[in-house]
Amino acid sequence: MSILINKNTKVLVQGITGKEGQKAAASMREYGTQVVAGVRPGKGGEIIEGIPVFNSVAEALDTFPEISTTTIYVPPFAAKQAILEAVENNISTINTIVERIPIQDTAYCLAAAREKNIRLIGPSSLGYISPGEGRIGVVGGPLELANQIFSPGSVGVISRSGGMTNELSWQIRKGGLGQSTAVHVGGDLLMGTAYADLLRLFEKDVQTKTVVIFGEHGGGYEFEVVEMIKNKEFTKPLAVYIGGKFANLFPEGMNIGHAGAIVGKGQSADEKESALKSVGVLIADTYEDLVVKIKPFA
Amino acid sequence: MNLYEFEGKEIFEKFGIAIPKSVLLRRGDKAEEIYKLFNTKDVVLKVQVLSGKRGKNNGVLFGSNVGDVKSAVDKMFVSNIRGQYICGVLMEEKLNIAEEHYLSITYDTNRKQPVLIYSQSGGMDIEDVSEEKIEKYYLDIRNENIDLNIPFANELWNCFIKNDARVVEINPLVKTVDGKFFAADSKIAIDDDAFFRHKEWNFEPRTMLGRLPTDRENAVVKIDEGENYYRGTAGKYIEMDGDIAVLFSGGGASIANMDALIQVGLKPANYTEYSGNPPREKVAQLAKIVLSKPGLRGLWIAGGVANFTDIAATFSGIIDALDEVKPTYPIVIRRAGPNEIEGKRLMEECAKRNNLNLKIFGKEIAMGATATVLFDMINVK
Repeated sequence: MSILINKNTKVLVQGITGKEGQKAAASMREYGTQVVAGVRPGKGGEIIEGIPVFNSVAEALDTFPEISTTTIYVPPFAAKQAILEAVENNISTINTIVERIPIQDTAYCLAAAREKNIRLIGPSSLGYISPGEGRIGVVGGPLELANQIFSPGSVGVISRSGGMTNELSWQIRKGGLGQSTAVHVGGDLLMGTAYADLLRLFEKDVQTKTVVIFGEHGGGYEFEVVEMIKNKEFTKPLAVYIGGKFANLFPEGMNIGHAGAIVGKGQSADEKESALKSVGVLIADTYEDLVVKIKPFA
Repeated sequence: MNLYEFEGKEIFEKFGIAIPKSVLLRRGDKAEEIYKLFNTKDVVLKVQVLSGKRGKNNGVLFGSNVGDVKSAVDKMFVSNIRGQYICGVLMEEKLNIAEEHYLSITYDTNRKQPVLIYSQSGGMDIEDVSEEKIEKYYLDIRNENIDLNIPFANELWNCFIKNDARVVEINPLVKTVDGKFFAADSKIAIDDDAFFRHKEWNFEPRTMLGRLPTDRENAVVKIDEGENYYRGTAGKYIEMDGDIAVLFSGGGASIANMDALIQVGLKPANYTEYSGNPPREKVAQLAKIVLSKPGLRGLWIAGGVANFTDIAATFSGIIDALDEVKPTYPIVIRRAGPNEIEGKRLMEECAKRNNLNLKIFGKEIAMGATATVLFDMINVK
């Protein structure tokens, strides 16, 4: 088993005719994911990477009603419209790779998605991968590299950073372990799917025995995790690394790392670590150390 | 980006939020003449800095005659408000305060929607006000107007939405003895990612670091300007006191690496990260600026195992800079990902033709461990 994606997931690519969209479509297909259609207004009828292109999400769904996941590859100023089109058409999972979407647009899309119980992963998410099952987006990179890094296993991976999703998964593999699903949640202030949302899924997933999180200073998402562990909603061993201790060299309100990593009151890396420790979460001093911490449980 | 109080108040006024009569004094302005023209006896003078706590650091003074005003303004321009750059002094009519309230709107990250926070106990010590005295209203971002029985709530909501703000705050929201409300202070943070739809955002340069942005910082910001601003980001450069230049790729890797560098006892000359597969030209410009800082003793280029960033292409940008600068200090590189073999070959050739003291690693070694390698190279005599 895995979370979010399996061999049967049918995927749409919005913005498939752009450079990044084409690359993503190819990378998903290469990993065995069923990318069945693409969307680009005005380019309906074309074929990209062997995938039929439609003028709208609705048209794509007319031909492929079983599409359950869409991936968004459009420039930031067009992202809101593309996400809302997917929401209006009731696609249950939306992965948004687009970086630098204005926060207001993200909030708008999240409000619309929430009403329909639609899951938005991102923005600024490179996607997610369940080794041997499939991948959404470009996590893992070219097939050869992805196969070096990812192998089915018992470790769930959550990362604020796309590069670190790979880097961390590689350290897990180097440590002789494998991953159940690795998710790049994105580095924005507003995360469509946050740590706690994923931990709920990992809790139910029998393949996942333990989870690692690469977190960042700033924002309050770790405190949700503390609450859910207190409420026994998540019971598996969890190890967390929170980057950005150096940020105390800078004043409050400064934006370092990702957009979401704003240094704020009560949300420093140290404060998060002590809250997490108090409910039994394993705290890693370096990201490499995450693997050492969870190895006995994997 | 955070706005100064006076900038925030100009925006407030446009959105129908009453502000006290005011005038901005810049460094070198004649305070006594401006005070006379201002034609109000009792004034309050406030230093214009980018973060709070000025009230507790003599950043707010009162005056009722030319002599007081002049000496207060002179003092303010040379004062030290937690090391911040003072861009001006705002002279305002002194309000006859009956009550100080608090009003703000920001994003609640857990609920992922805007939240309006209101308290009748506002003022300097808002952080100590008990939870029972604070009202919170979660708002639907899709609503054009809100209907709350709170002074200026709808005006502030419009200000928040129309200005793509991350935070709008009025503290204190003053009720005068004759029952009128005024925004006596303003705090607005705008969303940097919304610049493309705000042609009116022509704000003076600033940094949160308590000083004016350096030439290098300003130059890096320019790299990401123009049509393709979203095609990769090269615009993160903060100049620091140390002597180790860094070029990190990826937001997450960059913060893990900063921690690692400091842990091994080296001091960063800058904080820099580029991400999102930026083109060679952007990386080259960024690298040249990073290497232009005087007094460097080392260069650390580090990143994780990239997903789809073309290592050879981004390395080519760095190589363009190394060919030009030809540093004599030790250089350590750790990077992996697509096209890494070609990238390594190009980098090794560059090292050879320029006689660089350079070591390059791939994913066989973790990022943090290469900080130690750099430390050892620098400290070998």
